[in-house]
Amino acid sequence: MVELVIFVLMGAGTLAGGVTVVLARNPVRSALGLLGALVSLAVIYVVNLAHLVAAVQVVVYAGAVLTLFLFVIMFIGVDRQEDTSETIPLQRKLVAGLATVVALGGAVLVSRGRFTWTPASGEAAEIPNGTVQALGGELFTTWVLGVEVTALLLTIAAVGAIALAFHRRSAESPTED
Amino acid sequence: MIPEAFPEIAWSALAPELVLVFGAVALLLLDVQRKPGVKVLWGTSLVILAIALALGVWQWIAATPDAEPIFGGMLIFDRSAALARLVVLGVSLQAMVAARSLFAHLGNRAAEGLALVLLAAAGFILMAASQNLVMMFLGLEMGSIALYILAGIAGDGVRSDEAALKYLLLGAVASAVFIYGAALVFAGTGSLDLLRVAGFFARNLVLSPAVLLVGIGLLTAGLSFKVAAAPFHVWAPDVYQGAPAGIVGYMAAVAKVGGFAALARVLLSGFESFRPDWAPIVAGIAALSMVVGALMAIISSDIRRLLAYSGVAHAGFILTGLASGAQGSSSVWFYLAVYTVQLVAAFSVVSALGGAVSSGSDLSDYRGLYRRSPFLALVLSVSLLGMAGLPLTTGFVAKLGVFLWAWRGDLEWLVVVAVVASAMAIYLYLRVIVIMYMQSPADDDPVLCDRPTSWALGAATAVTVVLGVFPQPLLKLVESAVYL
Repeated sequence: MVELVIFVLMGAGTLAGGVTVVLARNPVRSALGLLGALVSLAVIYVVNLAHLVAAVQVVVYAGAVLTLFLFVIMFIGVDRQEDTSETIPLQRKLVAGLATVVALGGAVLVSRGRFTWTPASGEAAEIPNGTVQALGGELFTTWVLGVEVTALLLTIAAVGAIALAFHRRSAESPTED
Repeated sequence: MIPEAFPEIAWSALAPELVLVFGAVALLLLDVQRKPGVKVLWGTSLVILAIALALGVWQWIAATPDAEPIFGGMLIFDRSAALARLVVLGVSLQAMVAARSLFAHLGNRAAEGLALVLLAAAGFILMAASQNLVMMFLGLEMGSIALYILAGIAGDGVRSDEAALKYLLLGAVASAVFIYGAALVFAGTGSLDLLRVAGFFARNLVLSPAVLLVGIGLLTAGLSFKVAAAPFHVWAPDVYQGAPAGIVGYMAAVAKVGGFAALARVLLSGFESFRPDWAPIVAGIAALSMVVGALMAIISSDIRRLLAYSGVAHAGFILTGLASGAQGSSSVWFYLAVYTVQLVAAFSVVSALGGAVSSGSDLSDYRGLYRRSPFLALVLSVSLLGMAGLPLTTGFVAKLGVFLWAWRGDLEWLVVVAVVASAMAIYLYLRVIVIMYMQSPADDDPVLCDRPTSWALGAATAVTVVLGVFPQPLLKLVESAVYL
């Protein structure tokens, strides 16, 4: 029961944060909306006994990444107006129409009982263990290849940053080299 | 705590990918330490690709038909994955041989560009061999992110930046869709391992599979984006048009191979028992892709947009084979193997004619290409005829294969649509050939292409024609590449 209450509250918080990110006109508000969504998600992780993931979520995403976002926003300037006029005519109406169709379709399926959420039990239903030790064990046994590939992904990101930003700037003003 | 279940680490099975990855790192270090010329870097990357390809061939020969999953079920190098590897490495080599002038233009960014090419190839091979949805996602991201960067690497104009940014933003949405689908599959079956997912369906009767159906739909949508199938294709023309000409062929080819391999594995290996549910959707995407691709290609006035839209149509043809079920996957592989070669060859011609870092290639530039360079005109013609599926080219055998399997898979209506779309496509390819051979050029300057490019183009043309006349060897090769 407590779990359900927390889930509903935090789910609503996550959604509200997400909506704020999209709808807010001021980028700082968008960033704060993202913060709300991230923290709400972290609470949901705690409820699921994934303590380490929750801590990482708060420290890395809410702490470091979001601070970086805010830095960039401040750097560019908070009060710069974005040009939000659309180039495709009727874009909003089209999207609203599509969304309505999807929502109606979902409602029809639900009302006919075709759409009952019955998550599989059994194979996934073991009690999760969210300690650092358990997570580390998982990461470096079952998912060891994934960890290695993630390292490659970071390499690609670093190489890309150098190729796109660094060299371009040095090509534009060779005296800086 | 000593972990009780340490997965078997089968590095030797990953030998070609390891060569690519270490080769990429070595290239970067070589660039930092020695600052060699672009030619040295480019040559080194070709050697790396050739070694990887040789190892890939060796693994193909050594592979047994019933391959075991490795890394605790993360990867499986069965026949289809081993073939995907050969195709990715083969077209990468073909594209890179022809791309010397691109890297010469990139100057001090050449090493980064080459490293990204090698890493993207490794990523798409991993994606094709993934048996686990998380692993598949990592491979997809590894390949895609490298491609986003490559799209903007020339950075010489607004178009190139626009292409890279569009590709990144839409690609990110597609990745999110894919990962949401993977989450729903996990929710519905309790596993991300496709083999275990299939096993779950063998043991359990899923009475209300709505969660799973939505999951399958999202996975299909995410991967359809990567292969540029309609209606998830809108990024393709802009990206193909804006990205540097020398790399577009590579980008399009490897993304298609990785995407289709992943799609085939998800649908045919994981969700084969749901075929009655997903086959109509895949068939619908196929029909839409073929018609939209052919129609839009006909009204394109830029050869890159034309090739992009024709790529959408080809995605439709390949999906036609996929929709017919597991037995049809050999025809899918034949199609992918021959189409990517033609695609890379066509873009190599575009690059040779318009400049390796150029953005946009108007069709009027191709007027009278026959007089300016008979060789390039011939290569482009053969590639286009192959794409059109004319007899005596590989394209004909490929189209015939997917149509036959779709017919046997009770998708007669789809075959009818496909034949009509092929007929429309013939017109658009012939239009380009008419422009090249029957109109007089604006200027008579001969178009020169460097020697490696001519080798690559000559080889691609030879493959298209020779395997078109004698397709048996390749047909035998793909015969065993069936998802079970």
